[in-house]
Amino acid sequence: MIALSLALALVAGDYAPARQGLEPLDAQREARVMKLGKVLRCAVCQGLSIADSPASMARAQLDKVRELVAEGKTDQEVMDYFVARYGEWALLEPTTNGLNGLLWLGPVVLLVVGLLVIVSLVKKRAPGELAPQAPAAAADDPFLAQVRAELEK
Amino acid sequence: MSKTAWALFAVLGVALGAMWLVFHKSFGNDPHAVPFELAGKPAPRFTMKRLDTGELVKLEDFIGRPIVLNFWATWCGPCKEEHPVLQWAYQKWQRDVVFLGVVFEDTEENTKAFLVQNGSSWPQLYDPKSTVAVDFGVAGVPETYFINRSGVIVGKYPYPIDPQTMTKRISEILQ
Repeated sequence: MIALSLALALVAGDYAPARQGLEPLDAQREARVMKLGKVLRCAVCQGLSIADSPASMARAQLDKVRELVAEGKTDQEVMDYFVARYGEWALLEPTTNGLNGLLWLGPVVLLVVGLLVIVSLVKKRAPGELAPQAPAAAADDPFLAQVRAELEK
Repeated sequence: MSKTAWALFAVLGVALGAMWLVFHKSFGNDPHAVPFELAGKPAPRFTMKRLDTGELVKLEDFIGRPIVLNFWATWCGPCKEEHPVLQWAYQKWQRDVVFLGVVFEDTEENTKAFLVQNGSSWPQLYDPKSTVAVDFGVAGVPETYFINRSGVIVGKYPYPIDPQTMTKRISEILQ
């Protein structure tokens, strides 16, 4: 059914036509473009970077990166351009600033607190507390005393 | 309980509270919605070709007038659904508001054929490399932007627009 729907859509021309991107820059700047493209999210895809997505919109976003790099913008300025439009959602790896920092630090703090709790609990116990102890009454038990006496005979 | 235990519980409480605060920011939000940060900021400048006359149209040409800017495509089903709403709105507010269509990721031929068949009285602009779409933070079509007289984006509607929403949003940019 899905295949039939897709085939009908293609026949009816209901698809975004493919488009050529801009010409690549020189090797060094193009490497920067692709590096930035890997960390920027495609606006019309599900969790894909603009460098990895085949979507036409992703190509347009990559062209914008190319344009900004050609203008001499820094990596941070290029990322700021996309963040100014889509917020931090545009970045595939969120920053550690502000409240995001709590998300990164939270698990570490919980781990440290957990370890401290375990250490304090272990320290509270007496050195021999963990070893199994013989019942104190065993030495005075007349039945056991009689058994020992029988064995010694 | 010892002082150390109290201190540990306090740290634990602060850490959990902070994490809750972070997650709370996202409670009730549509997880698929793409954030839009240009609301309240000046609309990006553009120069695009008008499909019918071929003349170049600039944002600055409309300074002092509210603008409804609609990104759409002929391959997009919801765009076809909202087309009559845009026609209705254009008929109703054309004297007070500038209506502009921006053709997104489509060919001139497809667009012209669609407009001949379905009608369109407002200018349709062509954005062949989607540069204007990227500048406006488009995340799919249809999307309708509402720009006030000062050239500031009041907001955008990232779904097929209905008459009620159109009326409400236009009243905001007419103020």
